[in-house]
Amino acid sequence: MPAFTCQLKAYRQRKGFTQEQLAALVGVRRETIMRLEKAQYNPSLKLAIDISRAVEAPIEELFIFE
Amino acid sequence: MLHKKIVRRMLLLGAVCLLLLGGSTWYAVRFNGSRLVVPMDFSTYVFRPQDLPMILSMLLLILYVLCLAGLLVRWAFAEKRRQAGSPVTRTINPKLGFLGFLGFLGLGGFWTYGVDGSIFPFLFFTFFGFFGFFYEGKLSNTLMDERYLENRRRARAAADRTALTIIFLSTLALSQGRLWGGGDTMLIAHIILVSLAMGLDVFLGEFLLYRYDHDDPVEEGDA
Repeated sequence: MPAFTCQLKAYRQRKGFTQEQLAALVGVRRETIMRLEKAQYNPSLKLAIDISRAVEAPIEELFIFE
Repeated sequence: MLHKKIVRRMLLLGAVCLLLLGGSTWYAVRFNGSRLVVPMDFSTYVFRPQDLPMILSMLLLILYVLCLAGLLVRWAFAEKRRQAGSPVTRTINPKLGFLGFLGFLGLGGFWTYGVDGSIFPFLFFTFFGFFGFFYEGKLSNTLMDERYLENRRRARAAADRTALTIIFLSTLALSQGRLWGGGDTMLIAHIILVSLAMGLDVFLGEFLLYRYDHDDPVEEGDA
């Protein structure tokens, strides 16, 4: 898996979502959001775009690949 | 799920069939010279009225097993149809994993081979794969999101690779033809190894999926 840093937690908290709420919004499990925030899971393009739309943040700021 | 009423009825019918078979076996051993109980040469078989209890109870048992199989197949198809449109995994009881002990039925092959040369019971070693129900049950009713589907693909690929490697290496070893001599022994060894590899494939698929899904647990905090 390519190394990347994930800024999702900060953007999610800024929007006032819990992990559970965000997971329900984008149709995944809370565990998936947890792993995403720890950069332990590389999401598909579709999930990345769904999350980016849900938290209203540009995708390249959410996931920063080195 | 199978209706509880049907399960109770089938269990009762099964008990009745076994009782009848037990009774007719006792009758055959006590009054009919153990005909149709001990292995006999059917090419010279001549019907006797005293054989009727044994024949009828065996027919009843066969009918029961066929009904049971039909019921299970119908239930399996219904369950598959229901699952096809569902975004979550099927709900099964982890205790079904105990069915894996049925794999020991494979040892019966050593006995049947000695009695009448049949070797098909060795295939029962595949039932060890049922131990996978233990892990599938733990993942019951899980939302199949993309991470789950990816983990499932990874687990299946790893399980298939392992099983195929075992089958390939054992075939390679057995095909040398000088290990144990006799063709029968080689065939039996091959059937056992392939059956065990198939069982391992089924088990590993579920076990690895559970491992991948639960590895490196992250904290439950949601701040």
